[in-house]
Amino acid sequence: MESRVLKPMLAVYVVAFILFLYGPFFVLWILSFQQGPDGGPQFPITEWSTYWYRQIFGLTPPSRIAPLPVGEALVRSLILAFMTMVTSTVLGVMSAQAFRRKFRGSGFVFYLIVLGMMVPGVLTGLGTSLLANNVFEITRHWYTTAFATHVAYTFPFAFLVMLAILNRFDSSVEEAAWSLGVSPWKTFRKVTFPLIFPGVLSAMLFAFTLSFDEFPRSLFAAGGTEDQTLPLAIYGTFSVEIHPNIFAFGVLTTLFSFALLSVYGILMGLSVRRARKLAMQEEIA
Amino acid sequence: MAYDLQLSHIGKVYDNGTPAVIDFNLDVDKGEFIAFLGPSGCGKTTTLRMIAGFETITSGDLLIRGSRINDLLPEKRPTSMIFQNYALFPHMNVRQNIRFGLEVKGMAAAEADRKVDRIIDKLGLTDVATMRPNRLSGGQRQRIALARSLVVEPDILLLDEPLGALDANLRKSIQNELKLLQRELGITFVFVTHAQSEALALSDRIVVMNAGRVEQISPPRELYTRPQSLFVSRFIGANTLIPGVVKDLAGEGVTLDTAFGILTGEKHDRLASGDKASLILPAEAVDILPANVAPEEARKTYGTNMIPCQITRAQLIGHILQMGVQLPNGDVIAVEGHADKYRGQFAAGAQAFVAWQAPRSTVIKH
Repeated sequence: MESRVLKPMLAVYVVAFILFLYGPFFVLWILSFQQGPDGGPQFPITEWSTYWYRQIFGLTPPSRIAPLPVGEALVRSLILAFMTMVTSTVLGVMSAQAFRRKFRGSGFVFYLIVLGMMVPGVLTGLGTSLLANNVFEITRHWYTTAFATHVAYTFPFAFLVMLAILNRFDSSVEEAAWSLGVSPWKTFRKVTFPLIFPGVLSAMLFAFTLSFDEFPRSLFAAGGTEDQTLPLAIYGTFSVEIHPNIFAFGVLTTLFSFALLSVYGILMGLSVRRARKLAMQEEIA
Repeated sequence: MAYDLQLSHIGKVYDNGTPAVIDFNLDVDKGEFIAFLGPSGCGKTTTLRMIAGFETITSGDLLIRGSRINDLLPEKRPTSMIFQNYALFPHMNVRQNIRFGLEVKGMAAAEADRKVDRIIDKLGLTDVATMRPNRLSGGQRQRIALARSLVVEPDILLLDEPLGALDANLRKSIQNELKLLQRELGITFVFVTHAQSEALALSDRIVVMNAGRVEQISPPRELYTRPQSLFVSRFIGANTLIPGVVKDLAGEGVTLDTAFGILTGEKHDRLASGDKASLILPAEAVDILPANVAPEEARKTYGTNMIPCQITRAQLIGHILQMGVQLPNGDVIAVEGHADKYRGQFAAGAQAFVAWQAPRSTVIKH
């Protein structure tokens, strides 16, 4: 009896949930096919076209609407996200590895690390900017001050992912390797790392995506126009006037994210096989 | 002579102050098969892990072939360990698992191949050499773990409940293989188990542990016939404990004043007249005498070690007669013997005597 009432209710709830989750994106997606250059960012669609997509890539004749000034910002954001990903993942793996043994003050250090994702981004950004301007008197750049705030923000995520992975890791395989005469470092490279590699991939994905669309920290810590990251550049265009080219760009970046996720999925699938080769192909002299 | 492995006053105290192992002393000859036996939490695995180098040693000295190795890293020790869950490398196939230790040591490829081939052949793993371990049965994994450890030619092989995860039939057959392998290779084995039958079947000597302490170190048979502590007498075999007070130490054995009269057993501890002690009676030492036995004849063999009893259960299983025998205080002893010996004269309900020869029982101080 219960399920006759409960099940439809749950179904409705799930549908509503998905609608709220993906609704905004669908609206964006539909409006990105608005006719241009005269069509505005609202319904109804006067005529379906791919005008705004072509406009992003400069394939339309010049009009009163300027192309999105995002090219360089996109490159900056990609490089920044990549740098952040590598740094945070390396730090995350190393610190999670350290936390496998209890050490004096480990509780304190844990909260110190996790603080990076708890503190409001605006505060971190503002603080970093004040510190750079007034204390250290250095110029802010996306690859210096902003990079530091991105690492402070994404490192806790990578750390927590790796902590969860290592928590379930059966350390007897490491002990088995040691007892065969394999040094701890080689054991890490050839046994531990290949086995935790799926977790490392997840940590990398987290760090990359979080950095790629990070806004409040970059806003304060990144510096002037020539240091703008992609989210800042997009935000900058809002303050003038909104055209459907933003929507088209949004759809493209979402597709990019999906591509990234697919690559992640494929890598996950291959990781075990890859790891095996990694461990055995390398002959040690 | 030099021992293969020596533990001298080894102790381990955890960071929170709890002692795990207390004053462990053991000398192991080359090629000996030693079992650490005890209930869970008795410190046997901790001791094994100290030998392997996975646990730090708080006090005492650990020597392998005469040199002190307390502070040597695990990978530098001439030991190799077999884990209860086998701890095979899941990302390598069987052959790669076995070859790993040699490769990392930098052994020439041809030589490594030769050694790996030989051990794979010896342990019957040829057909599965290119498979992943997680596809294989428990018995096969066990053999892979053995091959992986043996191929690096350790001086001492440490085994942590290696048969624990196998079903009963497989355990028996692997047990036999293990014993044969150990004899053939002449490597010292130290084997941790909580199963009596394994320890008794495999080892040259058994170290019985309880609550961090060594209770007794003896060959299996002696552990059975001559337990040296109350714990061992309860833990190993089927012993009856008869409490009493020490009366006389003068003769061959010790006489004990008990609820069943004056009983005599072999002396073990330092005992003084008036000490509280128990007579430990192994089930194998018990003879059942009919109620109408000629008392004078029986006394020649058994002295005063005769207690009237009642047969509560008698069951013939093939040529073995199993009996339950109730003592005057209500305790029931399980006794079994060859049917011929008892000639079918005992049925449930019959009166009889429990009797034993004094040297086959032991008196242990409380």
